[in-house]
Amino acid sequence: MKSPVPIKWVRPVKVPCTHPEKSGDLQPLKEIDLSRFPLEFRDSEELKSADDNVKRILSLEFFNRKNTMEALINEYKDSVKRHILDEESPEVRVAVMTAYIRDMQRYLELNPKNKLIKVRLKESIDKRKKLLKNLRTWDYKCFEWILEKLGLIYKPMPPIDVYRRVERKRSLRMLTTKYCEDIVSKKFVEYKEILENQQESFLEEKIKTLEWIMKEEKYCGVNPTVTPSDIEKTKEDLENLKASRSKK
Amino acid sequence: MSARSLSLLLGKCVPSVKKNAAKVCVTRMELDDNLLMYYRKVSYVYAHDPEAVCKTGDIVLIEELPQKLSRLVTHGVREIVFPLGDVVDPITGQRVSGTRFRSELEEENTLYGEAPERFRYDTAPPRGWQEGKKDFTDKDTYIKYHEIEGDDQPYGV
Repeated sequence: MKSPVPIKWVRPVKVPCTHPEKSGDLQPLKEIDLSRFPLEFRDSEELKSADDNVKRILSLEFFNRKNTMEALINEYKDSVKRHILDEESPEVRVAVMTAYIRDMQRYLELNPKNKLIKVRLKESIDKRKKLLKNLRTWDYKCFEWILEKLGLIYKPMPPIDVYRRVERKRSLRMLTTKYCEDIVSKKFVEYKEILENQQESFLEEKIKTLEWIMKEEKYCGVNPTVTPSDIEKTKEDLENLKASRSKK
Repeated sequence: MSARSLSLLLGKCVPSVKKNAAKVCVTRMELDDNLLMYYRKVSYVYAHDPEAVCKTGDIVLIEELPQKLSRLVTHGVREIVFPLGDVVDPITGQRVSGTRFRSELEEENTLYGEAPERFRYDTAPPRGWQEGKKDFTDKDTYIKYHEIEGDDQPYGV
């Protein structure tokens, strides 16, 4: 049956939980210069004065990926840690997890069938989310700073009583309700505009009528119910209204 | 006994859709006569808050208004007792982070040697600068059920 309401439902594309869009990673893993030395040779004095070939062989280019990741994680840690020996603060833990997560996301894109990595990735994303949740309650300013520093997005889960499954009929009903609410609010706005347009002419008419009543009462000799102050007040209202209109 | 019969209430702010009003979750313990045990009962109250001082998660003190502002808005915000994540310890008057004093943490940093890029409390902007950008806790999130053209639905999960 064709619905009289112009609504077309588009099912949202399913994003896997390990995808950066879902995990809240705005940036990919940092690039690292492969001519750098691994962490264990970083402070070596002999290497500084060594031959160019030796330097090249002992650079990250000829080491495992593990050593590159060590250097990268160290870089991530350095950007957030509180003091030089800091290993346990929540900021450092989030930074280390972020480095691992981004590396695993990069790997999973190349090897989508590796289930072990997928599980590990999902677990670490959830752990990081939990840590961010706790950090938010402990120290809100630090939480905001770390989101900015590491390029993360934090979205809490919906309330527990929200229905989780996406269904055609349910979605259509929700969309129809929204469509009806939009119509009502649109009509309210239109009606408000009509009433606001009538305000000026109403006040002008009110002044005229009040003046007429005052004149008639004076002529008939009845106790006056309209005072000149009433008319003055109405005139003031009219001026205020005109001033506010001209400002807009 | 309903929560509305008391004039002063302590509650926790939850994400609110209403403008000019904060939604506050008030809990009370109710006695079960059969089991002789107290159970938590929650009720939600809307408090008038035109300047939007209440943020999600704050512990606030609200009081009943002499006259209802609308059908839902019955209370007004009197004081924010504990802002979320920026709590002052009532005994010593010092700011805390988690279970430790911030001054203690700063002292520790200077003893070990300060890291150059660390987070600093004195230069940090007030809470709310990431609201709607990277931190989406100010409103309730929902399950995305429809794809809207030209709208990323930031609060959709």
